[in-house]
Amino acid sequence: MSEADGIRKYDPEFTKRVYQMDNGRWVKKCMQCGICPTTCTLKGMMDHSPRRIIQLIRAGAKDEVLNSNTMWLCTSCYTCACRCPRGVPMMDIMHDLCHLAEEEGIKNNKALMSKVFYNDVANRGRVWEGGLTLKYGLKLGIGNALKLAREMQDVGMEMFKHKRIPIIPAKGIKNPSKLRAIVDKATALAKEEG
Amino acid sequence: MKYSYYPGCASEGTGAANYYAFLAVAKALGIELEEIEDWNCCGATVASSVIGEFPAQVVAARNLALAAKKPNDIITACSSCYAILGLANRKFAEEKFKEKANIALKEDGLAYNGNLNVRFILDVLANDIGTEKIAAAVKKPLTGLKVAGYVGCQSVKALYKEYDDPEYPSAMDKVIAALGGQPVDFENRSKCCTGSMALSAPDITITAVHPIIEGAAKAGADIIVTPCPLCQMNLDVYQGKANKQFGTNYQLPVLFITQLMALAYGLSNDLGLKYCVVSPKQKLASWL
Repeated sequence: MSEADGIRKYDPEFTKRVYQMDNGRWVKKCMQCGICPTTCTLKGMMDHSPRRIIQLIRAGAKDEVLNSNTMWLCTSCYTCACRCPRGVPMMDIMHDLCHLAEEEGIKNNKALMSKVFYNDVANRGRVWEGGLTLKYGLKLGIGNALKLAREMQDVGMEMFKHKRIPIIPAKGIKNPSKLRAIVDKATALAKEEG
Repeated sequence: MKYSYYPGCASEGTGAANYYAFLAVAKALGIELEEIEDWNCCGATVASSVIGEFPAQVVAARNLALAAKKPNDIITACSSCYAILGLANRKFAEEKFKEKANIALKEDGLAYNGNLNVRFILDVLANDIGTEKIAAAVKKPLTGLKVAGYVGCQSVKALYKEYDDPEYPSAMDKVIAALGGQPVDFENRSKCCTGSMALSAPDITITAVHPIIEGAAKAGADIIVTPCPLCQMNLDVYQGKANKQFGTNYQLPVLFITQLMALAYGLSNDLGLKYCVVSPKQKLASWL
């Protein structure tokens, strides 16, 4: 039997895995009232609304959740969380889902962007905004990078003219390796918890 | 009043104007700022999607531990830094979190017990300094200047009801009024500008910033001010693109609230208007 036969594949293990994530317990608290999609900044562009994502997690619809663009379109504006009658921090659930998708190797522009950003934090302790654009472009691949550069040429020029792009990185923290040691330890502790 | 200052990465780049203006304004108001030594990036809202939430919170908490060497409140003028540091700080109220986070922080010889407060610039201005003191330092009152105070999202919503109402925020309007300006009520004043998506999905940002600029323009604003580096950049830098896409011709300068204060305080050296893509020279001619 397959989805082609009209049978949906449910994966209860996926549901359990999400429940065990940092904000997984909140998934259980959602009462499906629908205030989050009505407040969401980019709901119109999402494959599934935030409310529906919760429903899909509970249903164990792993592929639909992890392959959707929903969590990547969450802008972390916290509006839904402010208005949620149960105080569910929806964007934190979305961050967890992004992390899960990253672990599963799912590709997405924002995932690339997140990695570039974080690499700067890990390597220097601080982000060099000027280099961010460049490194992101390199990750995109030459074709996509050139397309982006063409579309954004005018913006780039204006920013350059108005000194908005720092050409030289400001100095990072004194000992970034210590910061990485903190992250490694924290990661190990988080894993221990399961 | 003394604070431990967390500038954040934008202060070294796209939000440099905010950094200089804030330092100058703080001096004028007698706010003593001690930059947290060796601070690191707060990780914004993206670190957790790469390393997971707990490690991301610990990365943010390193700054709290560094600040804990002094007893002062931590102040930041960046919405995202405020959200991330503030939320990590709250986690230290949980014993289990505190214990685990400290095991990780020990790798850098640091420790934190959750005793500090993380404060946003608007909170400190409206509640610690107060409008009377803000008004008393004014040298060039902004009489007749209509200002749209765009608070954005994270500064009022991430730490829900910490210092302002998330639905009807008023702290920034109080500051604008204290400077002699006229705060205008406008549509989409706390709608998200899509923040960091400007780089990974610029078309989305362009579509999101247009209704905000339009709201301010329709309400008759001369300029927009915001406390947030990402809001300032998106509204300012993408305004031209939004105009092109929607067939409009708005020329609304977008300033940091700190720049507006520096303007009213006559601190012309620290205004940093050269960073503005949409030129504010014409609208602000009477005060420059």
